[in-house]
Amino acid sequence: MSLRLKLLLLGLATLVLPWGGCRYAREMESALREGEANSLQAVSQTIAASLQGRTDLLYRAPPPPAEAADEPQPDSGAQQATAQAFDKPGPDDLEPLALTAAPLLDGYGDDWPHQPDAWTGFKKDEHHHFAVLSGVYERMLYVLLEVNDEHPLYDAPGTNTLDAATFGDRVWLGFDDAQGEQHQVFISATGPGSVSARRIESGEYGQRSAPVEPRIRGAWQPSRDGYRIELRVPLSMIGHSFGILVDDRDARGAAPVSYGTLRSDDLHTLGRLIVASPELSPYLTQFLQPGLKLAVSSPAGRVLARADALARPLTLGRETPVLASLYRRFVDRPGERQVLESTAPIYDRDHAAVIGSLEVTQTADRWIRLRDHALTRMLTFTLATSLVAVVAMFAFAAWLALRLARLRSASESALTRSGLVTSFPETEARDELGDVARSFSTLLARLNEYTSYLRTLAGKLAHEIRTPLTIVRSSLDNLDSEPVGEEARAYLTRARQGSERLNAILLAMGAATRVEEAIGGAERVTFDLVPLLGSAVAAYRGAFPGREFLAELPPGPVSLNGAPDLIVQLLDKLIDNAVDFSPAGARITVRLHLEPQAALIEVENPGPPLPLHVEGRLFESLWQSRPDGDSRPHFGLGLYIVRLIAEFHGGEAAARNLEDGSGVRVSVRLAR
Amino acid sequence: MKRLIAIVEDEAALRDNYAAAFTRDGFAVRGYANRAQALAAFGTRLPDLAIIDISLEDEPEGGFELCRQLRAMSAELPIIFLTARDSELDAVSGLRLGADDFLTKDLSLAHLSARVHALFRRVDALRQPESAEELLRRGPLTLDAERMQAQWDGQVVLLSLTEFWIVHALARHPGHVRNRQQLMDAASVVLDDNTITSHVKRIRRKFQALDPRFDALQTVYGMGYRWVE
Repeated sequence: MSLRLKLLLLGLATLVLPWGGCRYAREMESALREGEANSLQAVSQTIAASLQGRTDLLYRAPPPPAEAADEPQPDSGAQQATAQAFDKPGPDDLEPLALTAAPLLDGYGDDWPHQPDAWTGFKKDEHHHFAVLSGVYERMLYVLLEVNDEHPLYDAPGTNTLDAATFGDRVWLGFDDAQGEQHQVFISATGPGSVSARRIESGEYGQRSAPVEPRIRGAWQPSRDGYRIELRVPLSMIGHSFGILVDDRDARGAAPVSYGTLRSDDLHTLGRLIVASPELSPYLTQFLQPGLKLAVSSPAGRVLARADALARPLTLGRETPVLASLYRRFVDRPGERQVLESTAPIYDRDHAAVIGSLEVTQTADRWIRLRDHALTRMLTFTLATSLVAVVAMFAFAAWLALRLARLRSASESALTRSGLVTSFPETEARDELGDVARSFSTLLARLNEYTSYLRTLAGKLAHEIRTPLTIVRSSLDNLDSEPVGEEARAYLTRARQGSERLNAILLAMGAATRVEEAIGGAERVTFDLVPLLGSAVAAYRGAFPGREFLAELPPGPVSLNGAPDLIVQLLDKLIDNAVDFSPAGARITVRLHLEPQAALIEVENPGPPLPLHVEGRLFESLWQSRPDGDSRPHFGLGLYIVRLIAEFHGGEAAARNLEDGSGVRVSVRLAR
Repeated sequence: MKRLIAIVEDEAALRDNYAAAFTRDGFAVRGYANRAQALAAFGTRLPDLAIIDISLEDEPEGGFELCRQLRAMSAELPIIFLTARDSELDAVSGLRLGADDFLTKDLSLAHLSARVHALFRRVDALRQPESAEELLRRGPLTLDAERMQAQWDGQVVLLSLTEFWIVHALARHPGHVRNRQQLMDAASVVLDDNTITSHVKRIRRKFQALDPRFDALQTVYGMGYRWVE
């Protein structure tokens, strides 16, 4: 894994930041939620306090009759009634729901809120019972009546509504008015459809009539267990009490089974109608804010009025859908309620009794929106930070890698070239990499010294050994003139042979130094390479009768600016080498190619291919790869001399195995 | 009276070996270890021939200095540098200081002796009138084998002993290629190819100093050299 990749991964570790941010956002959400809950509690308590003792605002006072405005009695009566309004409702009391929409008067209950516990049941026996659902909307009382009747019976069509013989099932509504006076109306139907209420009036002379009460409207429909009646009564007609009585007849004109919340003898109301004041809803509305729901309930728990703005969107901006869904998916805690609720009791004036309760509901939207907002900002910041960190780290890594690569290539080239580089990159850097470069540089400098010491060692050694060797040889020369025995003469001869060999070794050892000197003092002349090579190859034919020499030379002249003596010396070394490594009788090819900028001399010889590891080192000083058992002194200087001469001519030397592996080709490129 | 050879050489064993060899050849030999000793002795009597090492005890270039001083004392005195140093630069410096020859120590005693004799012969020949039969004429070149002197168009070319012998070996058979080994044998020296090359170069330069058009000494690449008339 590269350094760049590693640091990149390290940079990616900064992505922990957004994760931590999410964790933090959750914590923040909790805090927000708590804060919101507290403030919601405060809000609910404040509103509840504002409602304290305001029974008139909570509960509906019966409308004062215009003609009896001065009478104190209805006031006190109203006071009396409302004082009881928040009492626990009895079985006969009717507590209508606060409807959010007006039900359609069609005799079906599908448009009513589905609240099974809001039904009030009245049961006489197994076969005679009914259930009432009532609600208030816009100063109208809506009643849904579900009557259980095994034999639903309509009035005989077209008959007198007062003729008892024609009576079918009939429902009585009883209520008082603002003055406390009792009123009754009955509802009957000759078939399914809309119905109206009639009141029974006695004339001056005892004649009775049943005029239609037009303010009350309704619809009658048969149902699975009997029939259903849906009614609408203006609240202005009703005082504090309201009752329903069902007259169930099994046959027309038969005596009915009466049951319900009216006294069956005089149809006097038994129960109260507990309804919120019409002012309550507007009152609550003024506290309303988007995402908030206010509801006032009676002590019994029935909602009197509510103001609902839960669904109304907040003014806070929404997050993009993608982000929002991400938050829903990853940040929201599953199973957590998305609303806050707070309830505060509403007390009466003396703070003695509870007259109702206020429930404030707030959607989670508000703080979740706040949190989302914060999250988005945080995500933006942390992602930007991560991005910057990653980019910075990547850049840093790239820079480091670049520096390391420079170091590497410098060290590689320093080691492959025999003339070690003395200038090393990065040594000026003040960091650890600079330390490495400096120690590398120092190491290379020492290596350089050592190498140059080694290179000059041969020459120095040759020089130092020469004097003692001369002593030996001159002593032997002197000994020749002395009378010595025959046996001693043999030893003398051997000693002389040994010293001659030593001398040859010394000459070979000093060769490189002398070539360097020769190069230093060489003069450049412009000459033609072709005849030079031709005569040289001719000379080699004479010098090495055991090899065949082939010269492949271009027809035209190849002029070169250089030192012909050195070129011949270079050739000598190449041919020496080729002869040494080729079998007897082998053909050695000397080839000259003309290139646009250079002359290429190639010497090819059959023989063992170069070992793989020697390429590139072949032309170094003191390096040799020769088969064992060669008794002549070799110091690995031959090809080094070739290189020196090639470099003097602005060229280079290279050795390669022949394509078919049958031998070796050494090529020397000389700049023209 | 025996000719006196002075050997200035700080290596006692070597000095003694040379002294023994020259004594055997019938010369009187004085050995000196350093420049001061040698100068002191030369002050009282000049030797007939001086063999000097370049580095003398604590003076790495003491031989050169001694050569200069000796040459100042006598213009004709033959001086041979005999040294372990074989660099081109040293050879050039030595010969420029007026040495008659510059030899490296791998020379055998027999060869050294031959040189000494040759130098004495030259000294003797220079004191006698020219004898025409000893002269070798090749165009503008005249070689006097007895005096070991070369002339080009009548002008004397100052060649060292080795250089003279190389020219002599080449000019004796003009057009014949002499390889390096043959030249070494002729000059009684054991040298490597580069030294021969630099000797040839030096010879050419000396002739070219007199005649810029000099082209008689040709290189035959890969083989050797030849003299062309």
